[in-house]
Amino acid sequence: MASASDSSPPVAPVGEPRDRVDGRAKVTGRVVYAAEAPVRNAVHAVLVSSTIARGEITAMDAASVERSPGVLAVLTPKNMPKLEYVDAKFHAEKRLPLGDLRIYYAGQHIAVVVADTLERALYASTLLRVSYREEPPVLGLGDPAAKIEWPKGEMTGPLQFEKGDVDAALSGTGVVTVKQTYSTPIETHNPMEMSATVAYWENGKLTVWDSTQAVVNRQKALAAVFGLKPDQVRVLCPFVGGAFGCKGDQWPHTFLAAAAAQAVGKPVKLMLTRQQMFTGCGHRPVTEQTITLGADGQGRLVALRHESKSDDSEVGKHIEPCGAGSSAIMYATPNLAYTHRVSRTNIASATFMRAPGENPGTYALESAMDELAIALKMDPVELRLVNYADRAPHNGLPFSTSNVKECYRLGAEKFGWSRRNPEPGSMRAPDGARVGWGMATATYPAHRFPNQARIRLMLDRDGGVRAIGAAATQDLGTGAYTVFTQMTAMLVGLPFERVKFELGDSNLPPGGVSGGSATTAGVGQAMSEAAGKLRQAMLKRAQENSGSPLAGLTPDQVVFQGGRIVAANDPSRGVELSAVLKGGPAYIEGLNEANPAGADNLPAKQKAYTFQSFGAHFVEVAVDERLPIVRVKRVVSVMDVGRVINPKTAGSQVQGAVIMGMGQALLEETHYDPRTGRVVNDNLADYVVCVNPDVRSIETYFVGEPDLLFNAIGCRGVGEIGITGIAAAIANAVYHATGRRVRDLPITAEKLMRPA
Amino acid sequence: MDEPADSLASASFFTGARDVAAGISRREAIARTLKAGAGLSVLSQVGGLLRGATEPPPSPSAPGPVTVTLNINGDAHTLAIEPRVTLLDALREHLGMYGTKKGCDHGQCGACTVLVNGERVNSCLTLAVMHPGDDITTIEGLADGDALHPVQAAFIKHDAFQCGYCTPGQICSAVALIKEGHAKTDAEIREQMAGNICRCGAYQHIVAAVREAMQPTG
Ligand code: FES
Ligand code: FES
Repeated sequence: MASASDSSPPVAPVGEPRDRVDGRAKVTGRVVYAAEAPVRNAVHAVLVSSTIARGEITAMDAASVERSPGVLAVLTPKNMPKLEYVDAKFHAEKRLPLGDLRIYYAGQHIAVVVADTLERALYASTLLRVSYREEPPVLGLGDPAAKIEWPKGEMTGPLQFEKGDVDAALSGTGVVTVKQTYSTPIETHNPMEMSATVAYWENGKLTVWDSTQAVVNRQKALAAVFGLKPDQVRVLCPFVGGAFGCKGDQWPHTFLAAAAAQAVGKPVKLMLTRQQMFTGCGHRPVTEQTITLGADGQGRLVALRHESKSDDSEVGKHIEPCGAGSSAIMYATPNLAYTHRVSRTNIASATFMRAPGENPGTYALESAMDELAIALKMDPVELRLVNYADRAPHNGLPFSTSNVKECYRLGAEKFGWSRRNPEPGSMRAPDGARVGWGMATATYPAHRFPNQARIRLMLDRDGGVRAIGAAATQDLGTGAYTVFTQMTAMLVGLPFERVKFELGDSNLPPGGVSGGSATTAGVGQAMSEAAGKLRQAMLKRAQENSGSPLAGLTPDQVVFQGGRIVAANDPSRGVELSAVLKGGPAYIEGLNEANPAGADNLPAKQKAYTFQSFGAHFVEVAVDERLPIVRVKRVVSVMDVGRVINPKTAGSQVQGAVIMGMGQALLEETHYDPRTGRVVNDNLADYVVCVNPDVRSIETYFVGEPDLLFNAIGCRGVGEIGITGIAAAIANAVYHATGRRVRDLPITAEKLMRPA
Repeated sequence: MDEPADSLASASFFTGARDVAAGISRREAIARTLKAGAGLSVLSQVGGLLRGATEPPPSPSAPGPVTVTLNINGDAHTLAIEPRVTLLDALREHLGMYGTKKGCDHGQCGACTVLVNGERVNSCLTLAVMHPGDDITTIEGLADGDALHPVQAAFIKHDAFQCGYCTPGQICSAVALIKEGHAKTDAEIREQMAGNICRCGAYQHIVAAVREAMQPTG
């Protein structure tokens, strides 16, 4: 008997390119982001930030702030209510805001001003007088005053790792080696929506609208800090205006908004300014990575060493796992070592930014692989094929599926790679610009976090059946509303139009963080289990009717199909869902069991595999000869992410990630003043991201197969893989165009003009 | 450490040529603001804002609320607001019309783009009191009942957004671009949409949507 449950391949509308279900609301300006919460009579909070990077506040004079028209409250370290730092795992920092007088970085919040209007709060916030005892800040990876840490533990794989004997292998006869250091600057997420919170208290209960990647984690963190039970806190976030990691962990402003609301006894609205987005919710830290590769005459890697440095503030918790995210996974080699080192500096706290570790890690490794291909006079694609890994080098476990070879093949074909002249500087555009073609591998692990989800079936007033799926997950612009609507429709066998999906509310069945590209897989698994529970409940009810055609069948022996529940082996035997629902309760529900804790929540049989997505980017750049500004002319990106639920939204995600990677390669860098430790370019005119004319042609393709070992739907994740490898592919193309290797991002005209 | 209270002269405020799409340039906006005679308090807040200044800024001229009637999407709204309230904040915080987005508050991102007498304007760069008698159109006013504006329909069809936060500004900008009639090629569409940042990176689809909406048969 065919089992309807957890192994059948998905059916339509899963896999179809559907328009976003929230599209109409988005193009008419009707979706609600956090700062737009339907809350009456909210007053406005504005944050005041430290102007020094290290030291202590010696005095604060808020008298003139308090006297300023419209001001309702000023919170400073002096009068801030004492909060408890508990449940550390949800916090982005090891400290609560306004908890002490110490200054760890410029931009640290030191006061909150609440007034009746935004304008009055903004003006009053400029009146606060602060005196500091200043200490020289520790800045940069090379600062000798920085405390150095060698973090233990695991992020994807172990953070410090060695197998075999790298040194011995590198000194073997006939071994061709490449050893180079690559660096990436501080990059800032800058989603278009600044982080925002609207908070209010009612009968001892706290309600918070927050721009977040994790409503349930927010709920837990707020409850713990304010000494409440989780059910006394509700967090809502129906829409997020982009996040990319900076809304993943709990940042201090959310606590401050809730504390301010408590202080004034009114709803409080707080939105970070664009300036504060550079220091108040993390960034990708600076990295410096030294890669050593050794290969034999056929190009086979005999050794790989990847030494990675990043930094964080003293109160930050972030490690950028560059080696663990790339060298641990990508190429077969008998001798492999990688290390991670963190310096403590007075730069604002760092955090995950789109593919943390994998992104800078693949930039370094894939640049070094290009240098190795040149040293060996091999084609870069060929070098990668020679070093194909069918199992993860760091743990020896086979990949559940890997179609990276197909990514190379299809990418090369669509791009026209066979027409490439390998000689640097040999290709020209009709206008005389130098043309370069480069490629690189992309990779990102598959995660799924514990999630619950429910599906309800009910009768409409018109007698038709409707399904509503729900989970306390988030749609960051990823298309979650749409793909989960598709999944619900598939799981209950109803047309797409008769299905809705709800998310972004901590009152719904608890979901995990929308990070690590884990949402579709994690919630998808929960949905699939919820559908099983729903089948059980519907079957039970159907069997209450004497003479039911489903009599004697178990839940495993029935399926939802075409608005009916039927015997899996004989679809003619069954009943209409509407008949089962008629005369019953308002709805019948399936809710999956709470998942056990544990990062990836994988059943034991899955522990025998490594779950990893791969892809390939092929890039053409043009570089003007006199003023060597790099233009990305075209990109072909091919990804294997398992089952694609919605090729339309998934393709958009890969395009967007490629564009963010183009910005990383050529434009983006957060500059800190080396004397003061303050961000110099904390605005969108000086922190330059790609704009429309920067983007010419990006083609995306998906290859691969459902990864049913990973979850019942067979999907991995799409959000991050597109930004891995792309900076290296561009850097490699720039080398091919110019013969110049720039090893520190971004690749600007100044760097290309420097004497070699 | 001293912080000049009014760092209007900071380079960041004046530089950056990214608001091509704005109906008015940043310099023009400042000039207009000054002409309106009510801008000092806004300006004093823009630069050195929120940074725990050790010296208090010069005391403001404490403007009280003034009455202004704004004509938005065909409806007249009378507001009593301080002269320093930007058109963006008037829409969002005083009228509860949140369709228009704040992405920077500095004229650098285009999220706040609205149409003023058919021209695209960064509503964070202009004061509400400067617009009595002007015809203001926001994202909420583009559709005709249930019938979407062709640009809105094309944005859905081409998946020209992800998070949707830049989208109202992109759409208002595109509507004006089409009316301006200067863009004939994809390259020209890209150039003339350069003032609207999309961090989700929907640019290629935005161009496809604008191209389609530009067709006479639309
Ligand atoms: S341009 Fe006005 S908010 Fe960015
Ligand atoms: S759709 Fe997210 S910023 Fe454009």
